[in-house]
Amino acid sequence: MKFGKLKRAAGILLSAALLLGSLAGCSGKENETPSGSAQGNSNSAEGGGEGGEQAMGRFLESDVVLPIVFSNIFDMRKLEDGTIRIIGSSGDDGSKTVWDSKDSGANWEKAFDAPAEIQDEENGYIDYAALSADGQSVWVYNQIGDGGIKPVLYLLDQEGNLSTIPFELPAAEGRDIFSTSYSVNVPEDGSGQGPDSENQGTEDGSQTGALENEEPKDGSGESGDGPTEPEEGESSNKNLITDVAFLGNSQILVVDMADKVFQISAADGSVKQAYDFSDTPDAYQFYTAGNKLVVTTTTEALVYDTETGEQQPTEEALQSSVAENGFFNAVDSTDAGESIYYLTGKGLFHYKFGGSVMEQMIDGSMNSLGAPAFYPIALAMVDEQNLLVAANDANSDEVGGISLLKYTWSADTPAKPDKELKVYSLYNNRELRQSISRFQKEHTDIYVNYQAAMSEDNGMTVSDALKTLTTEIMAGKGPDLLLLDGMPIQTYMEKGILQDISGAVADKKGNYFENIIHAYQDSEGKTCAIPARFFIPMAQGGSANYTPGEDFDTFTSKEGVLSGMKPEATIEKFWYTCGAAWQKEDRTLDAGKITDFLTKLKNAYGEYDSSKTENTTAYTIAEEGGGITELQEISLSWGDFDLAFGRYRVNVGLYGRMDYGQLTAVNEKLEQGDYGLMPGQAGNVFVPAMVLGISSKAAQPETAEEFVGYLLSEEAQKVAQFGGFPVERSSFLSVIDGHEYEGKDSWISGGSAGSNMDERLSFKMEPTPEEVIEKMTSLAESLTVPALRDDVIKDAVVEQGAKVLKGETSPEAATDAIMQKVNIYLAE
Amino acid sequence: MHGTVNWLQENGEKKIWGWKAGKGSCPELMEYRKAKNKKAHKKWRGFLWILPSFLGVMVFYLLPYADVVRRSFLGAVDSRFVGLGNYKEVLGNTAFLLAVKNTVKFTLLCIPALVFMALACAVLLCRSKYGGVIKSAFLMPMALPAVSVALVWRLLFHGQGLLNHWLGQFGLPEPDWMNGTSAFWVLVLSYIWKNLGYDIVLWMAGLAGISENIYEAAKVDGAGEWKCFLHITLPNLKPSLYTITVLSFLNSFKVFREAYLVAGDYPHESIYMMQHLFNNWFRNFSFDKMAAAAVLESMVLLGLILLLQKAWDSGVA
Repeated sequence: MKFGKLKRAAGILLSAALLLGSLAGCSGKENETPSGSAQGNSNSAEGGGEGGEQAMGRFLESDVVLPIVFSNIFDMRKLEDGTIRIIGSSGDDGSKTVWDSKDSGANWEKAFDAPAEIQDEENGYIDYAALSADGQSVWVYNQIGDGGIKPVLYLLDQEGNLSTIPFELPAAEGRDIFSTSYSVNVPEDGSGQGPDSENQGTEDGSQTGALENEEPKDGSGESGDGPTEPEEGESSNKNLITDVAFLGNSQILVVDMADKVFQISAADGSVKQAYDFSDTPDAYQFYTAGNKLVVTTTTEALVYDTETGEQQPTEEALQSSVAENGFFNAVDSTDAGESIYYLTGKGLFHYKFGGSVMEQMIDGSMNSLGAPAFYPIALAMVDEQNLLVAANDANSDEVGGISLLKYTWSADTPAKPDKELKVYSLYNNRELRQSISRFQKEHTDIYVNYQAAMSEDNGMTVSDALKTLTTEIMAGKGPDLLLLDGMPIQTYMEKGILQDISGAVADKKGNYFENIIHAYQDSEGKTCAIPARFFIPMAQGGSANYTPGEDFDTFTSKEGVLSGMKPEATIEKFWYTCGAAWQKEDRTLDAGKITDFLTKLKNAYGEYDSSKTENTTAYTIAEEGGGITELQEISLSWGDFDLAFGRYRVNVGLYGRMDYGQLTAVNEKLEQGDYGLMPGQAGNVFVPAMVLGISSKAAQPETAEEFVGYLLSEEAQKVAQFGGFPVERSSFLSVIDGHEYEGKDSWISGGSAGSNMDERLSFKMEPTPEEVIEKMTSLAESLTVPALRDDVIKDAVVEQGAKVLKGETSPEAATDAIMQKVNIYLAE
Repeated sequence: MHGTVNWLQENGEKKIWGWKAGKGSCPELMEYRKAKNKKAHKKWRGFLWILPSFLGVMVFYLLPYADVVRRSFLGAVDSRFVGLGNYKEVLGNTAFLLAVKNTVKFTLLCIPALVFMALACAVLLCRSKYGGVIKSAFLMPMALPAVSVALVWRLLFHGQGLLNHWLGQFGLPEPDWMNGTSAFWVLVLSYIWKNLGYDIVLWMAGLAGISENIYEAAKVDGAGEWKCFLHITLPNLKPSLYTITVLSFLNSFKVFREAYLVAGDYPHESIYMMQHLFNNWFRNFSFDKMAAAAVLESMVLLGLILLLQKAWDSGVA
């Protein structure tokens, strides 16, 4: 027992260490954020400073007034003498002009109009153009001739004198291009569920993408100025230029459609170097910085020395920055290529070649740089404290969407705003993200921290996300503002999780569709949740199959009127117009009405024929790997081609964005075609979307209410990202009246994707006629019943209802199965 | 001697019951005090050894439990006092009653079945020369992650799954296993499949502790296999029974994972267990009902465990 005491002491010490270790493991550091403010690489104080010195200094965003309305800006650059030069095409007449500003964008002067060769729209169109540091510009003119499209490179000197660069683009091996336009129903990004989710670009009008229209709509700023009439023919060509950039003042980089890069002399077109990136499916982007060629994809950044043509050693920090912050949108350099400034969706970054760190200069989440519909075209670093960004902003107030923003360093502004407003949703919401960018621009003291719980990366289920949310709210660390896009709204209201937010709209009575905005009023008259947007369940069809205003019984008595539709989507569409009628006063469901619903819908659906369903647009696109979200599948526009070309007798679905041209084009294909509300057991139903609620445990309730007020303001309501009609009346009119087509002669000719690509719908994009505006407005005003938004009930109904339509079970048995599941849920 | 010490002989041990003071000290008393202090010191030393663990139990179990009891009398979010309102609401809640019914039914059915099947297997394996290998095979399900089990389960028991495919080939009816009462039996099967190996190992450990001499003596006296099993094996396995039953009981709660992964928050009503209810209540901020139900459940569990312990204690005695 010589060491008995020692052993005992050691034992006690170890036990104590173990205990303390386990307890310490629970504490952790809270919300330690990485350089949240970005500027100055500082960790700013949280929520208004808790002791510690607050880091100061941030770039503030402001709008720059452009000299004319541009339909496209091809390039913008700071010249060697400090002038900011812009080359673009006018939104009024399409003319190509060059503009200079000697005072960082405050005043503009036209340098010159592009020569006639460049303005010639009869024989071709300008696809790309780029500026050099000494003010020259190179223009890619796609000449349309009998042999197809031939790209021609024009060089304009500083004064606008034109010369042609004698460069012949070699044929792209193994590839032919066609000038035939076709549309694909490709979502912009992400995935969402239900009417509140991220609405992928083509929710409405999705069958006819940006095709042969002369108005660039895709936001890339590079769609070019195409022919003005829809064309049906096709002509082949061997190669096209897909990008162009100056390398210094005397060389030009030309990228072809096979991702081959030719480094040519601006003087004689001779090829100095060639780089081949054709052997990889990944899309490349090419930028120049001094004598370096920077090639980026979504995962890597390669740097080449253009003097030797050799690839430089991998810049690890740059590489990892691409992986973390996304691909580059625009690049500029201020020190002859020693370092680069680059824009991504996450903000502005600075990287010095050969260095080991990447510096974030601007946090995109605090301004327009992080907005979903903001597509930077060019970046011009005026100096280290001022920069300009030309962009295509789909929600810009500017006609054509081209805007110029200036970012100025403000040393007196806190690096991170004093107040942090936490906003939470299950699915990414593009309207919300867009509005946050605009809100933060006007409220530099507020940082809106938006978190969308569900993403493809984290694999989280709705149930898990809601449990995490519950934990955070109860721990006092939850969000201030909730976007109720899958949460049980009624339960949250009953439990007192949501506070009364009627104050946000109290002083604007009459500005909104009152019938919709008060959808979530409790028994005491408190408005605990407000839908900022809504969808209208609509139907469209020929007079033999559908009469606007007819009731559910009449509609469903027509056997087979819904045949050909996907069973699950059909049930879900009608769930919205019928579900609200099933709930009894005690919140239980009326089994009789569910049986009635399934029985009648089965009659309207007729016999299930999988071959019919498999021929529909949505099905074929999904089969071919196109991502279709739940919302797209239940939207009205996704059935347009199926209705117009006879696969559907009637098209039904949710309607959240007016597209008069397309609606009319479909009607014209039908015999006495018309549209109206979708029949249902509950009449005059609307589907609330973007439902906002403020947490009763919010840390910043006043700021949250202010933000709700902003989201319901005309400015935010006009943001259109396919997430539903605005509840604010003037915004509603603005998004349905088609004013953007005023005085234009734009044609859309689109084809369906999938296996029916030969089908085409052509129509003119024009302002919506007054009577149609009135019809839509009166439809919106007639809506009185909010659709039942309960995913547990909906899922049970869709699962069993689809079985009924497929003939796998009887309506009665399906009702029993639904009631069994739903009764447990409601009893809880 | 400077005083008088009165001794009391009790159970062969001397105890001082009186001391008349005198000058100086009493060696016996000093000795006694020393012994007593040592004993007391030893007692506290033991407490010190369990202190870290006790603190852990205190911090992570007892104090939170006390908070749960407190919350069972308060509102969910506003924390206002509601008396026994939550208990009344829970006891009148049909979802709670269904979950209790299913949980009790599952426990009453599964635990005896599992314990006896495991015992039978253990006895057989003990006699087999390949017992060790087979025992390891029985343990395999325990090593499988719940997610993998759920995946296989889905493949097998889905309405258009493998099982129905096989049944269809024989012209047999193809039931929707997970959306009917059969779901309960699938859950029972899954629980027994997963836990059988573990219980077999425990029983085999118990069997290994029985001396061979007893069996040999009994055989000399003419006892057959069955008599040996009834009168030697079973009585000697009584201590193991308590441990195995409690562990099986606790493991029965884990079957929720598979049920949840296969059928989600709202499975067929026959496999809607207490954990489903708690899970859903938590998600919907029903902390009031959750607290009341947890207190009720813990009382029942504590009662059951105490009952088992008492039965075990009496068995051992």
